Amino acid sequence: MTTASPGGRTPKPPGTPRVREEAIPPDPVGLDVQIGLVARGDTAAFDAVYEQIASSVFGIVRRVIRDPAQSEEVTQDVLLEIWRNASKFDAERGSATAWVMTLAHRRAVDRVRSVQKEAERERRVATSDIPYDEVAEAVESNFERERVRRCLGSLTELQRESVTLAYYGGYTYGQVAGLLGVPTGTIKTRMRDALIRLRDCLGVT
Amino acid sequence: MKPPRLKLPVPLTRRREPHTLAGAYAMDAISAPDRTRFERHLARCEECAQEIASLREATARLATASAVTPPPDLKERVMAAAAMTRQQPPATAPADGPARTRAARAPRAATWLASQGWRVRLTVAAGAVAAVVVFGAAVVFGTSNGTMRQQLHQAQASSQQIAAVLTARDATMMTGTVTGGGTVTIVRSHSMRELVFTAAGLHALPASRGYELWLIGPAGDRSVGMLPLGSGHMTGPVIASGLRSGDHLALSAEPASGTSRPTMPMMLDLAL
Repeated sequence: MTTASPGGRTPKPPGTPRVREEAIPPDPVGLDVQIGLVARGDTAAFDAVYEQIASSVFGIVRRVIRDPAQSEEVTQDVLLEIWRNASKFDAERGSATAWVMTLAHRRAVDRVRSVQKEAERERRVATSDIPYDEVAEAVESNFERERVRRCLGSLTELQRESVTLAYYGGYTYGQVAGLLGVPTGTIKTRMRDALIRLRDCLGVT
Repeated sequence: MKPPRLKLPVPLTRRREPHTLAGAYAMDAISAPDRTRFERHLARCEECAQEIASLREATARLATASAVTPPPDLKERVMAAAAMTRQQPPATAPADGPARTRAARAPRAATWLASQGWRVRLTVAAGAVAAVVVFGAAVVFGTSNGTMRQQLHQAQASSQQIAAVLTARDATMMTGTVTGGGTVTIVRSHSMRELVFTAAGLHALPASRGYELWLIGPAGDRSVGMLPLGSGHMTGPVIASGLRSGDHLALSAEPASGTSRPTMPMMLDLAL
């Protein structure tokens, strides 16, 4: 005789989450708290912070800079900056993730602008598949990536290209305008509209 | 016909739709002068600061969606570098009341975000290192017959020497792993033929033994000296002078009194 234990032992498949319309939580569990501890010199907390954010930092830095050696260098700089300036993080002004990624992205962009010659960059961008170009190896967090991709897909083509060239390509709005052959005023507006739409689509505030 | 261009000196004011730059600013898609000007505006416009904050939650997801696992040794390097980097103190409350606090924050954040390069941080680290070196050098020179005053003079000279290496134009940082546990971080200047050595998490040795640091190369094996007893997790800083081309930095466990020839196997071998 078999007594079915309802819902009991069947192991849950490690499937993809279905609740797609739910907002992305602002931070991985406790990242803001951990950064608060880092500010007090807690190396164990810094270790935990590293585990949570290093791949995102490395990912965006590498996407902007491309060169692996330089990307590692800038990633190391960014992570050290977090160690050094943890006390400057202010949870009232936004999530810890946004704080970290803002720093990482700006550092990457600054590196690209200071080091690379414009000519080289333009040649490179001309030969790369801009909109959905991905780094092939070990890309993480598929669920979130899928969601971002979907939200990017909901933008108009001009909005999407503006965001991709600016954020992933590290170009200024003036350069984006030049690359797309659109007046700068239009590009500025499209960029802002695009981010507002992305924000609403992603359910982040 | 081309649209009229905005002349640069025109200040951003509310009437001139500063908000249109919000998207470009949130994506760092803005030239340095534009950035400065927008940040000046941001400091006075609470509404704009809030919009930027919310847009950055969106751009942060563009970043996290690009996550790539970094090389495994990056963590060691970061942790070792953090161990020798002094942290910034928190901002103190402004004297002129809470109303200005928020506005004042934006430009400050912008300032520290500005690219500085790691050498600047090393300068800061040099300060932190100087504090340690007074202790460390006292231990190193403690066996000599000098008076306390002499020891302190030596300690000060040593911390200046360390700061000089850390801030040298050609300073480069390297890290290595010690067999048996621990990470080593060095900053080396070719032009000065010197390096600053620190270690973190070295395995504790019995009292009768200690770590000895070596320069090994075509010019012969030279002992840099016994490492000072670490205060807790950190060991050093120790300065090694007279680097020659082809030198390796090596570490071995020896009797506490030191030895003239390193005992094999080396616990660290770093090509300089």
